Amino acid sequence: MLPTGSKLLIGAAVAATVAAIVYGLTQEGSLGTVGLIFAAAALAFLAGVVVYIREADVSAMDTAALSESAAAAAPPGDSIWPAVSAVGGVLLVVGLVTYSPIFIFGLVALLAATVDWMVQAYSERASADARFNAAVRERIAHPLEFPILAAVGVAVLVYSFSRIMLFLSKTTGPAVFGVLAALLLVVGFIIAFMPSIRSGVVAGIAVIAGLGLVAGGAAAALDGEREMHPHETTSALSAEGQCSSTDETEADEHASQNVAAKANIAAEITLGKDGTLTAHNLGLVGDQESVSVVRANSTNVRFRNESDEDRRLVLDLGTRAETDETGETIPDREVPNQLCTQLVEDGGSQLLTFSIPTPSRYADAPYRFVVPGVDGAEVPVNVS
Amino acid sequence: MVASVPRRLTTGRAALLVGLGVLVAGCAKNAPQDTFQPEGENARKIHDLQWPVFAIAGIVLVIVSAAVLWCVFRYRDRGQPIPKQTHGRPALEIGLTILPALILIGVAIPTVGTLMALSKTSDTECFVNVTGQQWWWEMDYPAQDGCGGIETPIVTSGQMVVPVGTNVLVRGTSRDVIHSFWIPRLNGKRDMVPGRVQTLRIEADRPGIFAGQCTEFCGLSHANMRMEVVALDAADFETWKANQLAAYEAPEEGTVAAEGEQTFIAQCSRCHQVDGLEDADGAPVIARPELYVYSEAAPNLTHLMTRNTFAGATWDLVVEGCRDRVWQATPEEFGAIYLEGVTADCLNEVDLREWIRNAPEKKPMYAEATELGPTDGKTRGMPYLALSEDQIDQVIAYLLERH
Repeated sequence: MLPTGSKLLIGAAVAATVAAIVYGLTQEGSLGTVGLIFAAAALAFLAGVVVYIREADVSAMDTAALSESAAAAAPPGDSIWPAVSAVGGVLLVVGLVTYSPIFIFGLVALLAATVDWMVQAYSERASADARFNAAVRERIAHPLEFPILAAVGVAVLVYSFSRIMLFLSKTTGPAVFGVLAALLLVVGFIIAFMPSIRSGVVAGIAVIAGLGLVAGGAAAALDGEREMHPHETTSALSAEGQCSSTDETEADEHASQNVAAKANIAAEITLGKDGTLTAHNLGLVGDQESVSVVRANSTNVRFRNESDEDRRLVLDLGTRAETDETGETIPDREVPNQLCTQLVEDGGSQLLTFSIPTPSRYADAPYRFVVPGVDGAEVPVNVS
Repeated sequence: MVASVPRRLTTGRAALLVGLGVLVAGCAKNAPQDTFQPEGENARKIHDLQWPVFAIAGIVLVIVSAAVLWCVFRYRDRGQPIPKQTHGRPALEIGLTILPALILIGVAIPTVGTLMALSKTSDTECFVNVTGQQWWWEMDYPAQDGCGGIETPIVTSGQMVVPVGTNVLVRGTSRDVIHSFWIPRLNGKRDMVPGRVQTLRIEADRPGIFAGQCTEFCGLSHANMRMEVVALDAADFETWKANQLAAYEAPEEGTVAAEGEQTFIAQCSRCHQVDGLEDADGAPVIARPELYVYSEAAPNLTHLMTRNTFAGATWDLVVEGCRDRVWQATPEEFGAIYLEGVTADCLNEVDLREWIRNAPEKKPMYAEATELGPTDGKTRGMPYLALSEDQIDQVIAYLLERH
């Protein structure tokens, strides 16, 4: 006759075997089948052990064992650490062949289980009084457990919160979190004005809110972040050879018109009201006909727009081979090789930073500063 | 106790000897980087300021030290009763506050005046771009009306040649880390900072060579990052300019130097520019140091043998006797001797050969393949090129013609 407890394990082993066969025949991929076969094998092993030891019912054959056997000794208290150790071990192995975060989770679980299990085992030998032993365990473990659990809890909540924020669109996000903030305020008021409310109710509300946040965060993390549009800069204009455009582009939005004025510069280029472009090299007297630049060195030039219209300064370096989206050169296709500032408003200034590796004498075309839309506005650039 | 007297005497004598040694060490006659021997208007301004400041500071030091010593000896503990304790002498305290303030004001007025005079740029007669990088200085003379007129830029390194009695403005910067440009006999220090352009006035009273040194720690070979300013009179400066702008002269066919030209193109021209050099197809050979060197620059060797140092002015290109002839020349004969450049007889072939054979072994640099991870494979300094001795002979023969 089979012991009562073994029937569950035998049934589960049979069910896992059937599930493995069904899964293997109907689903693609072998991972699920292998997992179920392992489960069936493990359950069958446990069922065999239980049947062999007759569910440890020693009293059936040996009455003396009731008081003398190891099973008669006081059993250890309930512990989740064997289960955590098992999960940790599995995660460790799975993580080794899949993703490193899973490995790290497994490692953390194993470390936590090792430490806490040791503390528990130690405390259970402190005395014959279970309550005293429990107090010993708390005294040792709580200073470690509480800060770590609190940190983990906060990290989970913050991470969940951030996933939700990154999932919601730019317009939905403020609305959702505005409503949530208002709700939080209302609940806070209710709790504050109802001193008689039971603490269990408050704790329940907090737990539900926390679980909701974590669940929402998990769902949002699985769905991924919303598509974010990077703000275009003048480097995009340069890459597309569109620096000569006099039209306002996205790169010209939110243009700073005065930050550049604080920077150290090698030269200042000024567009006058009459459309003339003048250059002043730092340290030299008056205006010069050209700008002197050191080869292969990061150089700052300030563009000051004193004309009546929004203008940008363009550093014209000739032409260059066109490249596709992957950066590969497109044969026989050339685009202007230019760098430019944003559109600078009347009275504003902008900085242009550049480095030119090839001296002027070896350049295919003369280097020069120009202002699109202003004929004749040109200053040569001499690279030594 | 008896033995301690001679030991104390010995210790005292040793201390005296060390002190005298330190004192004597400051009396070197040949000290090319001596800031107390100004050779130009700007350095003289600093000199004229620092002497009175030192004098005032010295007087204050003597007075304060004497007062402290007098108090220590006069009121030392001899078992006398503790004197009557008083609190405050307002007149003395106010006086001792006002007096240092007056001294500081007296020092500040000429100091600010000197600083303003040294930062003046409105009287510039010539400007030179000076760029520091690990571990050498590049000097380029852009096209300008100054310096007697320059139509085509001149690029050189290690030695900055300037006309005597001319206000030269250095526009300095750096390509990698912060360096500091200092020619003690001509002006004070100026940090050269990446992304910034700093100005420094240079003026020399007489023809000659004035040594300098990078004075901002800039890495492994900071101590080997030197530079010199060469002052020539106006006529000699024009000769130097004309020579720097002279057309490239290829070596005579069939010579070792001609083989050296090909070796140079194959091995050296990736980083080093020689203006006018052409490949077999007649196309100009253009150096691309930005692909191989972290600072994106390497010395221009077009007229290497017109300067008499190399590798960041660390080694002389001329042997000792020839070096002395230049350095000890009178102002009248200096220009002619300097403009001779490096001749075959004067060439310091030993150091140049060692440098070409294995530069990182001669000067500490980050040029080993195993050290280039942080710089994406680019070297800091000249790498080991694995040239054969024949190739080295060829390159030296070729470079010797770069006048």
